[in-house]
Amino acid sequence: MEHARPHRWQPPRLCLSSGKGGVGKTSLAVNLAYALADQGLRVLLVDGDLGLANVDVLLGLSATATIREVLAHDLDPRAALIQVAPGLAVLPAGSGVAELANLPPEDQRHLGRLLEGLCQDFQLVLVDTAAGLGPSVLWFNTWAQYNLVVVTPDPTSLTDAYALIKVLCRAHRRRRFLILPNQVDSEAEGQRTFATLSQVAARFLEVELDYLGSIPADPAVQQGVREQVPFVQVAPKSAAGRALTVLAARVLNSIATCQPPPAADQEEVGS
Amino acid sequence: MKGFPRPDHCPVNGRTCPLAAEVRRLREECHRLLELSRTDPLTGLYNFRHLLSELDREMERTRRTGLPTGLIMLDLDHFKQVNDTHGHQFGDAVLRWVSRLLRDNIRRLDIPCRYGGEEFALILPGTSLPRALKLAERLRRALSETALTQGEHTISLTASFGVDVYEAHEDLSALGFLERADRYLLEAKAQGRNLIWHRDRQPDRAGTAVTPQERHHLVSRMRNYGARETTPVAAAPPLPEQR
Repeated sequence: MEHARPHRWQPPRLCLSSGKGGVGKTSLAVNLAYALADQGLRVLLVDGDLGLANVDVLLGLSATATIREVLAHDLDPRAALIQVAPGLAVLPAGSGVAELANLPPEDQRHLGRLLEGLCQDFQLVLVDTAAGLGPSVLWFNTWAQYNLVVVTPDPTSLTDAYALIKVLCRAHRRRRFLILPNQVDSEAEGQRTFATLSQVAARFLEVELDYLGSIPADPAVQQGVREQVPFVQVAPKSAAGRALTVLAARVLNSIATCQPPPAADQEEVGS
Repeated sequence: MKGFPRPDHCPVNGRTCPLAAEVRRLREECHRLLELSRTDPLTGLYNFRHLLSELDREMERTRRTGLPTGLIMLDLDHFKQVNDTHGHQFGDAVLRWVSRLLRDNIRRLDIPCRYGGEEFALILPGTSLPRALKLAERLRRALSETALTQGEHTISLTASFGVDVYEAHEDLSALGFLERADRYLLEAKAQGRNLIWHRDRQPDRAGTAVTPQERHHLVSRMRNYGARETTPVAAAPPLPEQR
């Protein structure tokens, strides 16, 4: 199957997950997408939360079609795209729809093909996944080449982030994780959070984690969420805004120098 | 004991006899050599050769009586670190200490052996899987809850366990049985150490669930950082290149 298809370049795929909900993952994903688009990239933001989608809510969008409809009626996925900024398109998921677990394997493959077709038009794809360790979270994480894990210094967030890393590492053979501490009081706290997670992962999972930089707790973030606007746009000089711009530059810098990554081995999740 | 020949005396006329003395000496020598040939000099437990022959006998007994033979394999966790940090003499003392602990916690008919290195095997004659698991749990706890003090060093040890039973209907050699139990032991290591693995334990769920030990480390490490300044992580590196 794979060899029959002509080799097509695929943009790098980044996946943001956290295990625990409420750690600011969706807000981070949206703002990171904006910050990357600001750097001149054509970015696709996929709302991977097929059960309780939030990206559209966060941006005050009203989706006409979602991943779900595209799958069900075999629509052109481009019809579902919403262009929210010059370089940024969002693929909404739609709330209250069945989880990916309910998708039979052939539909999962279909979804993969659809997304890959869609990705052609972009230079970078960012997926915001659901909370928890559900099938869609695992599926998107194996579909993406870069696994970003958002974590706060809170022990429950640490434990859930670790649980996610453990599942991906043990059951899906992922070895590379980029840790992104969020809502930290200081850069030192961000580093402590990372050090804790990476020491335990090194000891029990024999996997090394990479530090991506931290985002400070900042009222600008909350305000952005409430007003349904990205804080990097309305408050670029806030602490979180500055940290996010640095983060985006770092992400961009390193993947720009990378060769197009090989197609990831996609596994079927659930049954 | 009247009339019973004294060891160095002639059984016929009761007089001192060099021949009888020699027989006694040889008999003792024989006994000593037999013991030597089947014990491990460092720990005093039975060695691998004896393990194999006893296991073979017990498996034969299982085939005859229908009672299962239990087998516990255990391996000390991170033992190489003990040797590397405290030296091999200390490592040897640890092995002797563990052997004592094993001997003190098993039942009278169980056969404790040193498999090699820091790996031990216990044959449990006439023992079902649930009872073997109970014993393994007792040993696991005894090990993990007892701190070992040797001179100025105090260390805490844990071990990983593979537990298996041989049943009369199975077509298996003693070596095959050992190998099977060893695979469970390897699984216990892979699943995070300081735990017991056996045929009825499903690898999937437990393998990806966060263990209490991992949870403890995550929470306590973060807390222990407290207000103290820590060595900063190197400035965030660029994204790694893909595979």
